[in-house]
Amino acid sequence: MAHSREDKHESAPHSGQAAPEVSRRGFLAQGTAALAGASAVAAALSPLRHLAPGDVPTVEEFFQKHYKEMTDEEKRQVFARIRQAAEKRFGVELDLADPPPMDGVEFVYGLNISRCIGCRRCVHACVEENNQSRAPEIQYIRVLQMEKGSINVETADHHYDPPLVPDADKYYMPVQCHQCAKPPCVKVCPVEATWQEPDGITVIDYDWCIGCRYCEAACPYWARRFNFAEPEIPQEELNPNTAYLSNRPRQKGVMEKCTYCLQRTRVGRMPACVEVCPTGSRKFGNVLDPESEVAYILQHKRVYVLKEDVGTIPRFFYYFDERGSRYREPITADGPGGDA
Amino acid sequence: MKKYATFLWDCFRLSFVGDWRYHLWMTILTLVALFGLYAYCQQLVYGLVTTGMTDQVSWGLYIANFTYLVGLAAAAAMLVIPVYVYRNMHLHDVVIFGELLAVAVIIMCLLFVMADLGRPDRFMHLFWRFNFPISMLTWDVIALNGYLLLNLHICGYLVYCAYCGRRPSPLFYVPFVFIAIVWAISIHTVTAFLYVGLGGRPFWNSAIIAPRFLASAFAAGPAFIILTLQVVRGCTRHRVSNDALLTLRRIVQVAMIINLFLLACEVFTEFYTDSAHVESARYLYFGLQGHRALVPWIWSAVAMNLAATALLVLPASRGLRVLNVACVLSIVGIWIEKGMGLIVPAFVPTPLGEVVEYFPTSHEIAICLGIWAFGLLLYTIFVRISVPVLAGELTYEKRAAAPRVEAAPTREGNLAKE
Amino acid sequence: MRAVDSRLRESLHAYACGAVSWCAPSGLVACMSEQAAPSAIRRSRLSVCAALLICACSLAFNPLPFESPVSRPAAVPAWATDATAVRQPSLAPRYRAGVFTYGCNDCHKILPAGAGDTVRTVIQHREIVLEHGINTWCLSCHHPVNRNAFVDDRGGEIPWNQPQRLCAKCHGPVYRDWQHGSHGRTNGYWDTTRGEQTRRRCIECHDPHRPPFPSMRPAPGPNTLRMGRQHGRDRHEAHHPLRIGGPGGGAGPHGTGLGEE
Repeated sequence: MAHSREDKHESAPHSGQAAPEVSRRGFLAQGTAALAGASAVAAALSPLRHLAPGDVPTVEEFFQKHYKEMTDEEKRQVFARIRQAAEKRFGVELDLADPPPMDGVEFVYGLNISRCIGCRRCVHACVEENNQSRAPEIQYIRVLQMEKGSINVETADHHYDPPLVPDADKYYMPVQCHQCAKPPCVKVCPVEATWQEPDGITVIDYDWCIGCRYCEAACPYWARRFNFAEPEIPQEELNPNTAYLSNRPRQKGVMEKCTYCLQRTRVGRMPACVEVCPTGSRKFGNVLDPESEVAYILQHKRVYVLKEDVGTIPRFFYYFDERGSRYREPITADGPGGDA
Repeated sequence: MKKYATFLWDCFRLSFVGDWRYHLWMTILTLVALFGLYAYCQQLVYGLVTTGMTDQVSWGLYIANFTYLVGLAAAAAMLVIPVYVYRNMHLHDVVIFGELLAVAVIIMCLLFVMADLGRPDRFMHLFWRFNFPISMLTWDVIALNGYLLLNLHICGYLVYCAYCGRRPSPLFYVPFVFIAIVWAISIHTVTAFLYVGLGGRPFWNSAIIAPRFLASAFAAGPAFIILTLQVVRGCTRHRVSNDALLTLRRIVQVAMIINLFLLACEVFTEFYTDSAHVESARYLYFGLQGHRALVPWIWSAVAMNLAATALLVLPASRGLRVLNVACVLSIVGIWIEKGMGLIVPAFVPTPLGEVVEYFPTSHEIAICLGIWAFGLLLYTIFVRISVPVLAGELTYEKRAAAPRVEAAPTREGNLAKE
Repeated sequence: MRAVDSRLRESLHAYACGAVSWCAPSGLVACMSEQAAPSAIRRSRLSVCAALLICACSLAFNPLPFESPVSRPAAVPAWATDATAVRQPSLAPRYRAGVFTYGCNDCHKILPAGAGDTVRTVIQHREIVLEHGINTWCLSCHHPVNRNAFVDDRGGEIPWNQPQRLCAKCHGPVYRDWQHGSHGRTNGYWDTTRGEQTRRRCIECHDPHRPPFPSMRPAPGPNTLRMGRQHGRDRHEAHHPLRIGGPGGGAGPHGTGLGEE
């Protein structure tokens, strides 16, 4: 509570009869102070000189509309711009498509945990197909090595690296975006940058996302990824067959996730992870078609979903069939229970 | 209109005037704020990789500070309720400082959110497609900005009326004050609902989060105001009665007790049940699989909160020295438990069971300190302006009579009495 | 475009300086009205200037450089994304001995066929080890007379390019699943109206003489941004879910895994 004695110097208001020489000196002093302040602010802003040309949005990019509001002409212009930017950045000619959802189609994924051996080929095939960043590493699929007897992911191991898989005591559960029917990520996005399409795929408009990462916090399956840095993709590994809503090259500051390879599946092809799986554990198709593989699986196999209690109604089913485990003993006629 | 422009001009000039302590304080704050700005520019260039956040822990120090500060802003209402609802006149003269604090703090909250965005250049997208009423973030945007405007109006109107030398008309501020009371509760409830509504994060998916937010806000906020009022009393001529401080002390006391009770409820529910959902709480209090980064923090916070509550309950805290210690303890303790102790553990382990810890980087810390410094800078300017204006020392008439007069005393803390 | 953007960048400097220098001197006009600048104010103003200039200089020299935590990505081996099937059997009745390739019937038309029930040790094809459960007899699958074909339940022939009919003799449920697409990999198009769908046949994944699916080397695990030290989970840490054989689980870290590299 001490009061300074210095107030004597500046106590009473003056009537402001300033002599010219004082005001000149005063002006110089204030000018110096102002200049010092200005230079300090400029120095604080100086790291911005390292901004890459692509980081500062152009006028068209700034006013680009949400995907759902763009007319066909606007989409054409936007795609042309994206192709140009990709050519500049990677030197690759992109084949940027925009396949619409097919009528009467709802995509569903089946994963046979009796057969998955945890080899992680799906992870890397996905990375190549979907132009994911290699540094920092982004992988949509995460394979969990689960303890037998437990479906609790708390006891799972993500970083297993034995010389051979499968480990006989474990089972393997790859997790990726489940394209839930009640997606919590869509609920929480403040700008509607992510939404669910009629064929069940939850998509992201990378040019609309503001990068708040609320969807990443909301996802119960840890399926969404954020570009913390500018994604780095080796030029020779860039996949030019891209779509606006799925695997076109992204920039830093936006979210991305598995889209069931909609650049492939919306033209009738299988996703990359299905095509590479050596044991054929991955099944994909249109659940509305009663003759499809996935319809058969859902009808006849013991199917379950992960974290059902969260109420997301995933479109990704795990199932198991007769063979479930890696047996240790060979089958012989005189084994236990035999007639010998 | 001309009067209003002159008012703004005078406020602007006045904020550069003060004694050496004022200039030192403001210079330090400016330097820290500039350093934060520099670190933020680096974040704009390189992306959020300059922070310690990862896909596993995707919200960190920025959102932690944001959560804490929303509570601080809500607590400005804690000054308003006793005065306007219960007609407790002890606090009548200090309500304005609570409102001004709310303005500065809400601006800090908005800055923290902007700093956290991956694409801040796209925040205009909020205007074009606004996922209201489904996304809780949209409710938060409306609540925070509305609260800012409410408090700006109330403070601005009262200060401007004092500047013009006329009595403020109750019609123009009392209804807003009552709206602000309800709105203050709602901003913090909405912020709590951001976290509570996520089924994939069992640490947050609990009904107790919102009441705990309010209880801790109403402890930390008035504690902060107790400290700032003593600074105002020491540095300006504004009179702050001890009764005001003691009324605030009572509020902090009760709020801390409620906060501790709610903490006990939460801890019991988690650890007695001992289900798989307890992993996040186990990480926070005891560490998980050898990862123990938050354990010393949370136990310090618990100790500080207990100590603060004990001190506040004792009659010794009627003395300002002990009261100040208790206030500092409660402010820091609640910052830890509400910031780091709430945001980060929900991400550890991830929904798939992976344990990745979060360590804020120096860039992140620099930006946080920079925003705090900027907020304190704003609040100091607000106080610097409003004290002389409300005391009637800087008015339009006085200014109009002597055009080149620096009407306000250039040295604060001038005389102990008029 | 690039020129415009770089000009925009540089103008950030100019605008920042300009804006602040426009505001600041006018803001300090307040102090102009003092009669004489007392030494205290001068000292204070000087120290503020000095502080700001020191700040400007230090910030211009990048006091807090950003060191990227992003590690170089580990090269992903080509086999990790190789979609070819696990085995590439010839799917033809061929046998390779040394540098020669024979058709099966080239020899077996000449050699006497075994009587239906006798089981005798093979003299040729000794490199083939039959580990097919309780199926220990070659002629369970191979036709006793026409070695270019397989044998069905009644002694008839199954053509060499229809191995699934052979396996279906015993592995009914799996065959049914295979037919409906639930077993075995599907490649190509899920929508067969738009393109071709290909399915693997049994022996393209399973060695018929040693059918259990081979173990293989796992592709590299995740190495995400700032993930910290991640090691395999400690098996003795929590209660093992199965608790076979006592606490910590009864099994070794790797079972006697069937299969080979």
